[in-house]
Amino acid sequence: MTVLQACEIAGVDIPRFCYHSRLSIAGNCRMCLVEVEKSPKPVASCAMPALPGMKIKTDTPLAKKAREGVMEFLLMNHPLDCPICDQGGECDLQDQSMAFGSDRGRFTETKRSVVDKNLGPLVKTVMTRCIQCTRCVRFATEIAGVQDLGMLGRGSGEEIGTYVERLMTSELSGNVIDICPVGALTSKPFAFKARNWELKGTESIDVTDAVGSNIRIDSRGPEVMRILPRLNEDINEEWISDKTRFFYDGLKRQRLNDPMIRGPDGRFKAVSWRDALAVVAEVIHQVKPSEIVGVAGKLSDAESMMALKDFLNKMGSNNVWCEGNGPSPNADIRSGYIMNTSISGLEKADVFLLVGTQPRVEAAMVNARIRKTVRAAQAKVGYVGPATDLNYDHEHLGTGPQTLKEIADGRHPFSSTLINAKNPCIIVGAGVFERNDKDAIFSVVETIAESAKAVRPDWNGLNVLLLNAAQAAALDLGLVPESGNSIESSKFIYLMGADDVNLEKIPEDAFVVYQGHHGDRGVYRANIILPSSAFSEKEGTYVNTEGCAQTTVPAVPTVGDARDDWKIIRALSEVAGACLPYDSLTAIRSRMRTVAPNLLNTDERQPAIFSYSLKPESRQEMSTVPFGTAVENFYMTDSITRASKVMAQCSASLSKK
Amino acid sequence: MAHLMKNLKVPPNSTSREEARKRTFDFFRLACRSIPNIMEIYNLDDVVTPSQLRSTVASEIRKNAHVTNPKVIDMLLFKAMEELKNFVDHAKQRHHVIGQYVVGRKGLVQDLGPKDEGISNFLKNFYSSNYS
Repeated sequence: MTVLQACEIAGVDIPRFCYHSRLSIAGNCRMCLVEVEKSPKPVASCAMPALPGMKIKTDTPLAKKAREGVMEFLLMNHPLDCPICDQGGECDLQDQSMAFGSDRGRFTETKRSVVDKNLGPLVKTVMTRCIQCTRCVRFATEIAGVQDLGMLGRGSGEEIGTYVERLMTSELSGNVIDICPVGALTSKPFAFKARNWELKGTESIDVTDAVGSNIRIDSRGPEVMRILPRLNEDINEEWISDKTRFFYDGLKRQRLNDPMIRGPDGRFKAVSWRDALAVVAEVIHQVKPSEIVGVAGKLSDAESMMALKDFLNKMGSNNVWCEGNGPSPNADIRSGYIMNTSISGLEKADVFLLVGTQPRVEAAMVNARIRKTVRAAQAKVGYVGPATDLNYDHEHLGTGPQTLKEIADGRHPFSSTLINAKNPCIIVGAGVFERNDKDAIFSVVETIAESAKAVRPDWNGLNVLLLNAAQAAALDLGLVPESGNSIESSKFIYLMGADDVNLEKIPEDAFVVYQGHHGDRGVYRANIILPSSAFSEKEGTYVNTEGCAQTTVPAVPTVGDARDDWKIIRALSEVAGACLPYDSLTAIRSRMRTVAPNLLNTDERQPAIFSYSLKPESRQEMSTVPFGTAVENFYMTDSITRASKVMAQCSASLSKK
Repeated sequence: MAHLMKNLKVPPNSTSREEARKRTFDFFRLACRSIPNIMEIYNLDDVVTPSQLRSTVASEIRKNAHVTNPKVIDMLLFKAMEELKNFVDHAKQRHHVIGQYVVGRKGLVQDLGPKDEGISNFLKNFYSSNYS
């Protein structure tokens, strides 16, 4: 433990620029100088180990003079452009120069200037403002795992940059904006848009992947201005992925704001809610119950999925599922679809086996955890799947299920690594759900887990890494279709924000209702549009991949004439004469409690009780088709991110070809 | 359009229903002729079309289709003429036109017709807004 950490525990806050608790110690800003008894000079508290009997003085004239001197040197070359700086108001240098700085400068020469670097469409650089704390360099090499940023030159010629002219290609690059103590690295999409004291912060949950990162939505009036991470040690620590941070401009584009009906000429015409619901109710009574199909989208909250399932069940159909869960999902045994190790538990693992998953694009925060473990504990990583770029050392074992078979039979060299591991961790990607031989693959994986003793009372290392925010809650609520190919024979399809279902498979004469917030793929086929609110505008429960239920909080008002998802289904049920028995959020949640009580325990991870051993044995034949990639483009995975301009720029300039 | 408005004066009572009917049509034509002028005065091009306003006038007249007494018809015509004159003279403001004859047709006026009977409070709230 260092002196600075000891002081923090004792409740004394020492000013610092370069020190960051999650990064390695650099000790180059000298702001944290303190006086230690029997030491001739003030010491940098962030780098000095705390020793027994040490007497530390943080508020002596010597310490104050040291800080004032350091501030003077830092401000010597720092431009006086706070009024036009985006960091203004939340700048460490600004705050600390007010607190510890001198009231006048003695510097009369010209200030140094540094050429700005182009780090891509997300991070704006004003390198003259940089104070060389090297937090961003350490973040990039240690946590993001890219060697792009570095320190060039010495003395007053010292500057941060990419060694050659190139972009920062990391899915976590946005975090350097947060850790930069000054305005050298700021958000490009947010540049000159707002001041931080004008913004209203709402603590919410991210829905672009299955991790459920904790975020703060900063809004001004009806507009989401930016998204920042919120500390949650169990899920995202204090980082978020670039997609989470920058997709918010998609919330303002391509929005559906009025109920619309497609006329005979193929064009949509805005109608009132009354007429729209009446049309849907009339059509749903004209088809056979078995021809009704409901698909929940990847951004659906648990409340609306509950309402959709209850409504379609009342109409006599049981063909309702959530996209991404495949044709025959296993919803019976919870350990078969959540991350049993828990995200923070991954740090205890010493061997990873990734099966058909590319965590770097599927769940960037889980990937950061794996990288942390690999760095801290030298954990070994074996990977089965198509060639991919993981930002840590890994062994590419093979591309298809036959490699798994070899590991299970003990014929593969990696199987001895797994067997000798103390805490082996197997992660199966949710892309496997879409395969026809998914049961066979899971049974092979279970054999591997058994031989490696991955599932024990004190350790559960058999995991599934989900792809979408809605998946876990959908399986908890039992959204399982009666038959795998009901969509081909359907006459009435209710798409609740589902854009990635096989729209081509829908028969020509089927009536498609699209309830959602963005005009995306589903709208092209829809006969009627019911506009709903996005995650930033409603209160909804989401379960993340480790089985932790969290709720979003409305940050901005809904757009146009849109309504909350569950309200639309509740209203439709009444118009259709099959009224659902709940009409408030509390009532629908008590209905959810009877189905899946874990959804009500928010912010608390609910581990699965029964292990896979209860599952009936599968007699499926395993095919030899290699595993595919579940996420083609990290930056564009759902209707909101596909509508975002920033995400489009990112995928054009940053995704690897 | 002062020359048009010179014609606006209280006429003697109609002697028969035929005459009242003729006067009603005369009024309708007069109103229709002043619609382009009203559109210009109140800058209504982006909210309504002339034909919509014409049908609004027609439906205002049809509201009283059941009236048979020529005296009552004369009175209604007088009130209508007064209203028209107010509009043409710019004695009203833009929101009056929009509120009474554009939005007011269905928006601001709550029509709790027979189709809303028997529905739950939830559905009533649902139709009005997302927040209630």
